[in-house]
Amino acid sequence: MKVLIVDDSAVMRKVIIRELLKCGVETADITEAVDGLDGLDAANKADYDLILMDWNMPGMLGIDVVIKLRESGMKTPIMMVTTEGEKTNVVKAVQAGANNYLVKPFTPEDFATKIAQMAVHN
Amino acid sequence: MMMSFTPAPSNTVTAEGAQQTAHIDAHLVNNFMDAVVNVLGTMSGTQVALKELLPALDYKPQGDVSSIIGISGEHGEGMVALAFYEPLAKKLVSRLLGLQAEELSQEDLMDGIGELVNMVSGKAKTGLSEASGMLYRLSLPSIIKGADHQIAGRPKNCPFMCMVFEAEGETFTLQVSFRQF
Repeated sequence: MKVLIVDDSAVMRKVIIRELLKCGVETADITEAVDGLDGLDAANKADYDLILMDWNMPGMLGIDVVIKLRESGMKTPIMMVTTEGEKTNVVKAVQAGANNYLVKPFTPEDFATKIAQMAVHN
Repeated sequence: MMMSFTPAPSNTVTAEGAQQTAHIDAHLVNNFMDAVVNVLGTMSGTQVALKELLPALDYKPQGDVSSIIGISGEHGEGMVALAFYEPLAKKLVSRLLGLQAEELSQEDLMDGIGELVNMVSGKAKTGLSEASGMLYRLSLPSIIKGADHQIAGRPKNCPFMCMVFEAEGETFTLQVSFRQF
């Protein structure tokens, strides 16, 4: 499974990579983007099976990246991985085109469950 | 571990030696206290306990590195600061990454404590929003390093609550300045 991680925190990207490896994703199949604009660029340059998207990032918010990607017709499954836990924001993300939602902080079990759900989605 | 802060009947606490009175909002305190315990327990497997609650009338650094984040919305604004001494900060962030403290780079330490204040504030903000029906936004975190650093620009006429926590036999502080309107 080819995964794009879009998160401005290098530490959070490392945590997510560690958990992806535990889920059986190969290191070579993981790409990192350091903010929203970098994520938009990366998502348009290559094909992925899953995009993991933070919400609050400099340059462009994750939710706006999701809107742009869906407006362009991209169908790649997107899961928000964010501190924004309000139900209103979950609904907003789903309406924008996100397929799943994981709130930080998360346990390894929470993460693995969500990745398994997204693997089925693929 | 569930902890809960119960306010004095007047919902008011007077700082010892201070000329002013600072109001402590129990709902606010409980949201942030739960957020700290949950974030550090979930992400770095660290047990945390509230040791002391002080109605700080101004920001007094208690550590040598602080991570700060702003909260804003149509009906409230404020800021949150987590302050650590570096050895504890290194322990917490290295656990988050599954590393030994001595393996942690300075860059990851700074980024990691920024992510901790982001997660704590995000979780507390969710609790506050869902209780009040009001939505709040978070700024991006900033990091300040160095002894006796000062933070300017907090909301005026807004009390600063200082929560002192204990983890691994060391203390760190969460300071919240928040007002609703």
